[in-house]
Amino acid sequence: MHTSTKKWLFTKISSLILIPLMAWFLVNFVSIYDKNHSQILIFFSEQPSKILFSIFVIIAFFFSALTISEIFEDYLHDVKIKNVANKALNLFAIIIPLLTILSIYNLN
Amino acid sequence: MENNNPLSPHLQIYKWQISSLLSITHRIVGVINFLAIILICVWSILIVFFQNNYSTINVFLNSSFGKFFIISLCWTFSFHILNELRHLVWDAGYGFDLKVAKITGIIVFVGSFILTILFYILGRNLF
Repeated sequence: MHTSTKKWLFTKISSLILIPLMAWFLVNFVSIYDKNHSQILIFFSEQPSKILFSIFVIIAFFFSALTISEIFEDYLHDVKIKNVANKALNLFAIIIPLLTILSIYNLN
Repeated sequence: MENNNPLSPHLQIYKWQISSLLSITHRIVGVINFLAIILICVWSILIVFFQNNYSTINVFLNSSFGKFFIISLCWTFSFHILNELRHLVWDAGYGFDLKVAKITGIIVFVGSFILTILFYILGRNLF
Protein backbone atom coordinates (compact mmCIF):
# COMPACT_ATOMS: atom_id res chain seq x y z
CA MET A 1 0.00 0.00 0.00
CA HIS A 2 1.26 3.49 -0.90
CA THR A 3 2.45 5.62 2.06
CA SER A 4 -0.09 8.37 1.26
CA THR A 5 -2.93 5.82 1.17
CA LYS A 6 -1.81 4.49 4.57
CA LYS A 7 -1.68 8.02 5.94
CA TRP A 8 -5.18 8.75 4.61
CA LEU A 9 -6.53 5.50 6.11
CA PHE A 10 -4.92 6.19 9.50
CA THR A 11 -6.37 9.73 9.46
CA LYS A 12 -9.88 8.46 8.69
CA ILE A 13 -9.79 5.60 11.21
CA SER A 14 -8.43 7.86 13.96
CA SER A 15 -11.05 10.54 13.22
CA LEU A 16 -13.80 7.91 13.44
CA ILE A 17 -12.51 6.80 16.86
CA LEU A 18 -11.93 10.38 17.99
CA ILE A 19 -15.46 11.70 17.35
CA PRO A 20 -17.22 9.82 20.22
CA LEU A 21 -14.19 10.30 22.49
CA MET A 22 -14.26 14.08 21.92
CA ALA A 23 -17.96 14.19 22.78
CA TRP A 24 -17.41 12.04 25.90
CA PHE A 25 -14.44 14.12 27.07
CA LEU A 26 -16.11 17.47 26.44
CA VAL A 27 -19.22 16.62 28.48
CA ASN A 28 -17.04 15.34 31.33
CA PHE A 29 -14.62 18.27 31.15
CA VAL A 30 -17.50 20.75 31.35
CA SER A 31 -18.83 18.87 34.37
CA ILE A 32 -15.50 18.77 36.32
CA TYR A 33 -13.46 21.85 35.37
CA ASP A 34 -14.63 23.92 38.35
CA LYS A 35 -14.75 21.08 40.90
CA ASN A 36 -12.35 20.84 43.81
CA HIS A 37 -8.99 19.08 43.57
CA SER A 38 -10.06 15.76 45.07
CA GLN A 39 -13.12 15.46 42.80
CA ILE A 40 -10.97 15.98 39.70
CA LEU A 41 -8.44 13.44 40.98
CA ILE A 42 -11.29 10.92 41.35
CA PHE A 43 -12.22 11.49 37.69
CA PHE A 44 -8.66 10.78 36.53
CA SER A 45 -8.07 7.85 38.88
CA GLU A 46 -11.27 5.86 38.38
CA GLN A 47 -12.32 3.64 35.50
CA PRO A 48 -13.62 3.97 32.82
CA SER A 49 -12.59 7.66 32.71
CA LYS A 50 -8.89 6.79 33.24
CA ILE A 51 -8.68 4.46 30.23
CA LEU A 52 -11.01 6.55 28.04
CA PHE A 53 -9.02 9.73 28.73
CA SER A 54 -5.76 7.87 27.92
CA ILE A 55 -7.17 6.60 24.60
CA PHE A 56 -8.56 10.08 23.84
CA VAL A 57 -5.15 11.70 24.38
CA ILE A 58 -3.29 9.09 22.29
CA ILE A 59 -5.74 9.24 19.36
CA ALA A 60 -6.05 13.04 19.52
CA PHE A 61 -2.28 13.52 19.25
CA PHE A 62 -1.95 10.82 16.58
CA PHE A 63 -4.72 12.45 14.50
CA SER A 64 -3.32 15.96 15.09
CA ALA A 65 0.19 14.94 14.03
CA LEU A 66 -1.18 13.48 10.78
CA THR A 67 -3.43 16.43 9.94
CA ILE A 68 -1.08 19.25 11.01
CA SER A 69 1.67 17.69 8.88
CA GLU A 70 -0.76 18.19 5.95
CA ILE A 71 -0.94 21.90 6.83
CA PHE A 72 2.87 22.04 6.88
CA GLU A 73 2.90 20.30 3.48
CA ASP A 74 0.54 22.94 2.03
CA TYR A 75 1.93 26.11 3.53
CA LEU A 76 5.62 25.62 4.39
CA HIS A 77 7.75 26.34 1.35
CA ASP A 78 11.19 25.54 2.75
CA VAL A 79 11.89 21.77 2.82
CA LYS A 80 14.33 22.01 5.74
CA ILE A 81 11.90 24.04 7.88
CA LYS A 82 9.10 21.62 6.96
CA ASN A 83 11.18 18.60 8.02
CA VAL A 84 12.14 20.23 11.31
CA ALA A 85 8.51 21.23 11.95
CA ASN A 86 7.32 17.67 11.22
CA LYS A 87 9.97 16.15 13.50
CA ALA A 88 9.09 18.58 16.30
CA LEU A 89 5.39 17.82 15.82
CA ASN A 90 5.95 14.05 15.99
CA LEU A 91 8.17 14.38 19.06
CA PHE A 92 5.54 16.53 20.74
CA ALA A 93 2.79 14.04 19.79
CA ILE A 94 4.72 11.29 21.60
CA ILE A 95 6.05 13.13 24.67
CA ILE A 96 2.91 15.01 25.78
CA PRO A 97 0.51 12.02 25.78
CA LEU A 98 3.20 9.81 27.34
CA LEU A 99 3.74 12.27 30.23
CA THR A 100 -0.01 12.72 30.68
CA ILE A 101 -0.74 9.00 30.78
CA LEU A 102 2.21 8.30 33.10
CA SER A 103 0.99 10.99 35.46
CA ILE A 104 -2.59 9.74 35.66
CA TYR A 105 -1.45 6.11 36.01
CA ASN A 106 0.74 7.31 38.88
CA LEU A 107 -2.47 7.96 40.81
CA ASN A 108 -3.79 5.19 43.02
CA MET B 1 16.15 17.24 -4.04
CA GLU B 2 13.86 19.95 -5.37
CA ASN B 3 10.30 19.74 -4.10
CA ASN B 4 7.88 20.22 -6.99
CA ASN B 5 4.72 19.66 -4.97
CA PRO B 6 2.14 22.35 -5.77
CA LEU B 7 1.47 24.69 -2.86
CA SER B 8 -2.04 25.66 -1.82
CA PRO B 9 -3.14 28.99 -3.31
CA HIS B 10 -2.91 32.03 -1.07
CA LEU B 11 -6.11 32.67 0.82
CA GLN B 12 -6.73 36.14 -0.61
CA ILE B 13 -7.40 34.79 -4.13
CA TYR B 14 -10.40 32.69 -2.96
CA LYS B 15 -13.90 33.93 -3.61
CA TRP B 16 -15.44 33.32 -0.21
CA GLN B 17 -18.29 30.81 -0.11
CA ILE B 18 -19.59 28.33 2.45
CA SER B 19 -17.28 25.48 1.30
CA SER B 20 -14.08 27.57 1.44
CA LEU B 21 -15.17 29.20 4.69
CA LEU B 22 -15.70 25.79 6.32
CA SER B 23 -12.48 24.39 4.88
CA ILE B 24 -10.26 27.14 6.29
CA THR B 25 -12.22 27.22 9.57
CA HIS B 26 -11.74 23.44 9.86
CA ARG B 27 -7.97 23.86 9.62
CA ILE B 28 -7.82 26.78 12.07
CA VAL B 29 -10.12 24.99 14.52
CA GLY B 30 -7.99 21.83 14.18
CA VAL B 31 -4.87 23.75 15.22
CA ILE B 32 -6.79 25.45 18.08
CA ASN B 33 -8.03 22.03 19.28
CA PHE B 34 -4.48 20.66 19.13
CA LEU B 35 -3.28 23.54 21.35
CA ALA B 36 -6.30 23.09 23.63
CA ILE B 37 -5.56 19.37 24.08
CA ILE B 38 -1.95 20.25 24.97
CA LEU B 39 -3.32 22.68 27.61
CA ILE B 40 -5.70 19.99 28.91
CA CYS B 41 -2.76 17.56 29.23
CA VAL B 42 -0.72 20.20 31.08
CA TRP B 43 -3.78 20.87 33.29
CA SER B 44 -4.09 17.18 34.17
CA ILE B 45 -0.34 16.86 34.91
CA LEU B 46 -0.47 19.99 37.13
CA ILE B 47 -3.48 18.60 39.00
CA VAL B 48 -1.70 15.31 39.68
CA PHE B 49 1.77 16.60 40.62
CA PHE B 50 1.37 20.21 41.70
CA GLN B 51 -1.54 20.34 44.09
CA ASN B 52 -0.38 23.74 45.42
CA ASN B 53 -0.94 25.38 42.03
CA TYR B 54 -4.45 24.03 41.72
CA SER B 55 -6.12 27.07 43.31
CA THR B 56 -4.55 29.37 40.68
CA ILE B 57 -5.90 27.20 37.84
CA ASN B 58 -9.28 26.98 39.59
CA VAL B 59 -9.51 30.78 39.93
CA PHE B 60 -8.76 31.15 36.20
CA LEU B 61 -11.30 28.52 35.13
CA ASN B 62 -13.99 30.07 37.34
CA SER B 63 -13.38 33.57 36.01
CA SER B 64 -15.40 35.05 33.13
CA PHE B 65 -12.43 34.49 30.83
CA GLY B 66 -12.19 30.88 32.02
CA LYS B 67 -15.87 30.28 31.27
CA PHE B 68 -15.43 31.93 27.84
CA PHE B 69 -12.49 29.56 27.27
CA ILE B 70 -14.61 26.50 28.19
CA ILE B 71 -17.55 27.56 25.97
CA SER B 72 -15.18 28.36 23.09
CA LEU B 73 -13.65 24.92 23.51
CA CYS B 74 -17.17 23.42 23.31
CA TRP B 75 -17.67 25.24 19.99
CA THR B 76 -14.30 24.29 18.45
CA PHE B 77 -14.81 20.63 19.43
CA SER B 78 -18.44 20.69 18.18
CA PHE B 79 -17.45 22.25 14.87
CA HIS B 80 -14.64 19.75 14.40
CA ILE B 81 -16.89 16.78 15.22
CA LEU B 82 -19.61 17.84 12.76
CA ASN B 83 -17.23 18.79 9.95
CA GLU B 84 -15.24 15.56 10.42
CA LEU B 85 -18.53 13.65 10.05
CA ARG B 86 -19.20 15.62 6.85
CA HIS B 87 -15.75 14.65 5.56
CA LEU B 88 -16.37 10.98 6.44
CA VAL B 89 -19.67 11.06 4.50
CA TRP B 90 -17.76 12.51 1.51
CA ASP B 91 -15.17 9.74 1.88
CA ALA B 92 -18.01 7.21 1.66
CA GLY B 93 -18.90 8.80 -1.69
CA TYR B 94 -21.97 10.82 -0.71
CA GLY B 95 -22.82 14.53 -0.58
CA PHE B 96 -20.69 15.82 -3.46
CA ASP B 97 -23.57 17.52 -5.26
CA LEU B 98 -22.98 21.29 -4.98
CA LYS B 99 -26.43 21.96 -3.53
CA VAL B 100 -26.08 19.13 -1.00
CA ALA B 101 -22.54 20.26 -0.08
CA LYS B 102 -23.86 23.78 0.55
CA ILE B 103 -26.74 22.50 2.70
CA THR B 104 -24.48 20.18 4.76
CA GLY B 105 -22.07 23.10 5.18
CA ILE B 106 -24.82 25.27 6.63
CA ILE B 107 -25.94 22.36 8.84
CA VAL B 108 -22.36 22.01 10.17
CA PHE B 109 -22.07 25.72 10.89
CA VAL B 110 -25.46 26.13 12.58
CA GLY B 111 -25.27 22.66 14.17
CA SER B 112 -21.93 23.48 15.82
CA PHE B 113 -23.64 26.20 17.89
CA ILE B 114 -26.54 23.90 18.81
CA LEU B 115 -24.10 21.12 19.77
CA THR B 116 -22.10 23.61 21.87
CA ILE B 117 -25.22 24.43 23.89
CA LEU B 118 -26.09 20.72 24.18
CA PHE B 119 -22.59 19.76 25.41
CA TYR B 120 -22.63 22.59 27.93
CA ILE B 121 -26.11 21.74 29.22
CA LEU B 122 -25.23 18.02 29.44
CA GLY B 123 -21.93 18.75 31.20
CA ARG B 124 -23.46 21.15 33.70
CA ASN B 125 -26.37 18.77 34.29
CA LEU B 126 -28.87 21.51 33.46
CA PHE B 127 -31.57 19.22 32.08
